[in-house]
Amino acid sequence: MRDLRVWIVPILIVIVGALVLYPLAFLVTESLNVGDPQIFPPEEWGGGNYVELFEEPRIIGNTLLVASIATVLAVLFGFIQAWILTRTKIPGRDRLERLMELPYYMTPLIGALAWGVLLGPRTGLANQAWRAIGFNSDFFNIYSPQGIAWVMALFEGTVAFVMISAAMKSMDPSLEESSRVLGASKLRTALRITLPMVAPGVLSATIFVFAEMLGSFAAAFVLGIPGRFYVVTTAIWESALSYPPDYGHAAAMGLSLFGAMLITLGIARVIMRHGSYATITGKAFRPRPMDVGALRYPLMGIAWGYIAVAVVLPLAALTLTSFQKFATVIIPQMQFTLANYETAFSLGSIGPAFANSMILGVSVSTIGVPVIGVLAWIIYRSTMPGRWLMEYVVMIPQAVPRLVFGLGLLWAWINIPIPLYGTLWLLGIAYFTVFLPLGLRTIAGVVLQVDKSLEECARVCGASWVHQMRTVTLPLLRPGLVAAWLLIFIASVRELGVSVFLMGPQSKVIAPAIVNSWLSASSELSAAMALLQTVMVFIAVAILFRVARQVTGTTG
Amino acid sequence: MTTEPRIEVADLVVRYGDTTAVDTVSFAIAPGELVTLLGPSGCGKTTTLRAIAGLETPYSGSIRLNGDVVWSASPRRNIPAEKRGVSMVFQSYAIWPHMTVFENVAYGLRVRGTSAVEIRSNVARVLDMVQMGAYADRPSSNLSGGQQQRVAVARAIAFSPTVVLFDEPLSNLDAKLRAEMRVELRELQRRLDITSLYVTHDQEEALAISDRVIVMNGGKIEQIGSPEAVYNRPVSRFVADFVGSANMIEGHVKSVNADGTMLFETGAGSVIQAAAGKRDSTTLALRSSYIHLRPDEANAIAGIIHRRMFHGDFIQYVIDWPDGQLIVRRPPTELLEEGSAITVSFAPDYCVLL
Repeated sequence: MRDLRVWIVPILIVIVGALVLYPLAFLVTESLNVGDPQIFPPEEWGGGNYVELFEEPRIIGNTLLVASIATVLAVLFGFIQAWILTRTKIPGRDRLERLMELPYYMTPLIGALAWGVLLGPRTGLANQAWRAIGFNSDFFNIYSPQGIAWVMALFEGTVAFVMISAAMKSMDPSLEESSRVLGASKLRTALRITLPMVAPGVLSATIFVFAEMLGSFAAAFVLGIPGRFYVVTTAIWESALSYPPDYGHAAAMGLSLFGAMLITLGIARVIMRHGSYATITGKAFRPRPMDVGALRYPLMGIAWGYIAVAVVLPLAALTLTSFQKFATVIIPQMQFTLANYETAFSLGSIGPAFANSMILGVSVSTIGVPVIGVLAWIIYRSTMPGRWLMEYVVMIPQAVPRLVFGLGLLWAWINIPIPLYGTLWLLGIAYFTVFLPLGLRTIAGVVLQVDKSLEECARVCGASWVHQMRTVTLPLLRPGLVAAWLLIFIASVRELGVSVFLMGPQSKVIAPAIVNSWLSASSELSAAMALLQTVMVFIAVAILFRVARQVTGTTG
Repeated sequence: MTTEPRIEVADLVVRYGDTTAVDTVSFAIAPGELVTLLGPSGCGKTTTLRAIAGLETPYSGSIRLNGDVVWSASPRRNIPAEKRGVSMVFQSYAIWPHMTVFENVAYGLRVRGTSAVEIRSNVARVLDMVQMGAYADRPSSNLSGGQQQRVAVARAIAFSPTVVLFDEPLSNLDAKLRAEMRVELRELQRRLDITSLYVTHDQEEALAISDRVIVMNGGKIEQIGSPEAVYNRPVSRFVADFVGSANMIEGHVKSVNADGTMLFETGAGSVIQAAAGKRDSTTLALRSSYIHLRPDEANAIAGIIHRRMFHGDFIQYVIDWPDGQLIVRRPPTELLEEGSAITVSFAPDYCVLL
């Protein structure tokens, strides 16, 4: 028994380590391959692929441009929403706060498709309307760097909102109150007390969003490729999937991106840890919202406006398009049809894509949750040596951009003599690997919430370990396990970055299938598929909210 | 009849990495006794308790329960927690939120395969004992602190364990409720004759509830004795200071009288007669409650009332006297004005030389 326990952690570290690090190792070797890119192991080594990166400064410039605009917008959105929802008294605050999660479940892919429908040059619904009222040019061309940034900002705005409102909530209201009591005005208090307290949170949110933006793919893909506007991620995709593929170049770009993101995220973390006064206690306060008088309706309008622009409008545009016979809707000549949905369910490769995504979603989460549950229990509950190293290894995929990880997996599994490439098995393994951090974080949240003495008490009452697990630990963890299941399911159904490289003719999945149908210029079909995907995700989200409410009901 | 101890701890050492939390601790608890482990936080009292329960693995020493070795370093023996037959009340109560009150209390009986009829009657009996009979079918997630505490006690005694361990069971209750529960717990323990080991950092609670008190500090035992002995005859400066309110007077032993009493000369030159203690002592401990503000007793020294604080149950005076300041507690009937000149006096019997 004791001997077994000593071996569990090293064995798990080796297995998880192989899953996580093996593809990355392949990327590194390939990026140093300056010979024939199709041959493995490389015949000639060198840093040529990295030097090439600097011969195309345009791509780096594009990436930084898009990421900067999007970050500024996203943080602005996030800050305004966070301020309105945590610090002011507006009607329906609680509901709005819950709805703020929705943009995150929309995915940039769907946002990009929808905004393409709305603001595409000439044919975009909004642009048509603009011309109809007498203007001679487009209101806005979404197929532009600013357009990509706009779509990403709507999506990342939620992320910024969550981080900034957390910073605002973790501030003890008595800090502001004591300033007022000592004679400072509202404005002075806001400038001298509130702002310095919240600033580190805003700054780290800014850097975090910027790092995510560097690695984002879908919006830049949908809105950039038609105008041959490339950022790093789309350039990686182009190099790896064009003919002949230049894996070495793609790998070098991917690893450089990984490095850049790692450094930025590291900076964000340092700022969080050292600069933030507000989070020192780790306690959550209920900030006292202020009375804003007549301003409360405009503020409520702004808050609802974000939800409308980020969720309602895109979904409405997609819905309209999905029922159209012709992709290019001319407003006065609309022709409604259900044909796109029929195609989505029947067409040779698309029907199976939905089925495959469902199969993957269900099986990855069903197998993943118990496995990650055991990992979480070992890391956060046991006293086994090496458990912190294990946490570290499990969390690595979080730092690697999905697309880069997908590239690594592609190259790694092509060069392995096990015929997994092009099958659902490989996608399953890949999903499991990249969703490890998501699952671990979700389950860990619940494991840490369950007081250790609840388990100890069962043992002292005479229950064996198995009996304790069955009657106490698992029932208490159940809401967290269900939530983890749903989150992994949602993530699987939406997955694009990894799938785009690993999908084969026999293993199509939804997100890349939508992209393909869009590439073949069938945006009405893409719209129907995107909506179906969104419906799947939102059903899961609805269940998730219910579960979350139960959790707060029983332990709160 | 056997007088074998229920709990016997010998040379127990518990380590966390390089730090020694419990350092060669030994004691024995007789059947029906309630013994308290008293000390400041981090003194090793909870670790000792958890080691007895089987929730902490010691480094060396041995633990016996009812004569059976449940843990020993050599020969290596470690009975798991669930096989030790002890019961425990946790500081956080550890009431399972996903079960009803009844299910919580029945847990230990169910684990032991008790019949359904017996479970029902047993649970009803112990819930009545803690006055929670009406709550049996309530979900346990919205009980108040005091109610959770009662359920935790009921659960701990439901399966008739021979030994119950209490880990600061009252520390999360407010002062009034704590005082009430203290009485109830002692009543229950006496009635059921449960051998108990009780951990607390509250010296008042320890003195009130125990048959014997074990004072711990820095992982070691400072003193074992009845509450009266620990209060009246502390063996170290730590015990005198931690248990009750005491004045520490610095000085040295000047001479020993023929009858064994000693004369202690303070730093300021006052001479105090002490009944007993160490010859080489440099500190005299004097309980605040044993000092009179009239020249009633053998040792009498002049002083002035510097400050008076009315606590309700007693009045605390700060007295200026030759050796600095002296804390004196008197009943609320003895109300004296600040600034009055008085004579403090105290009996040699209550002067403890450390």
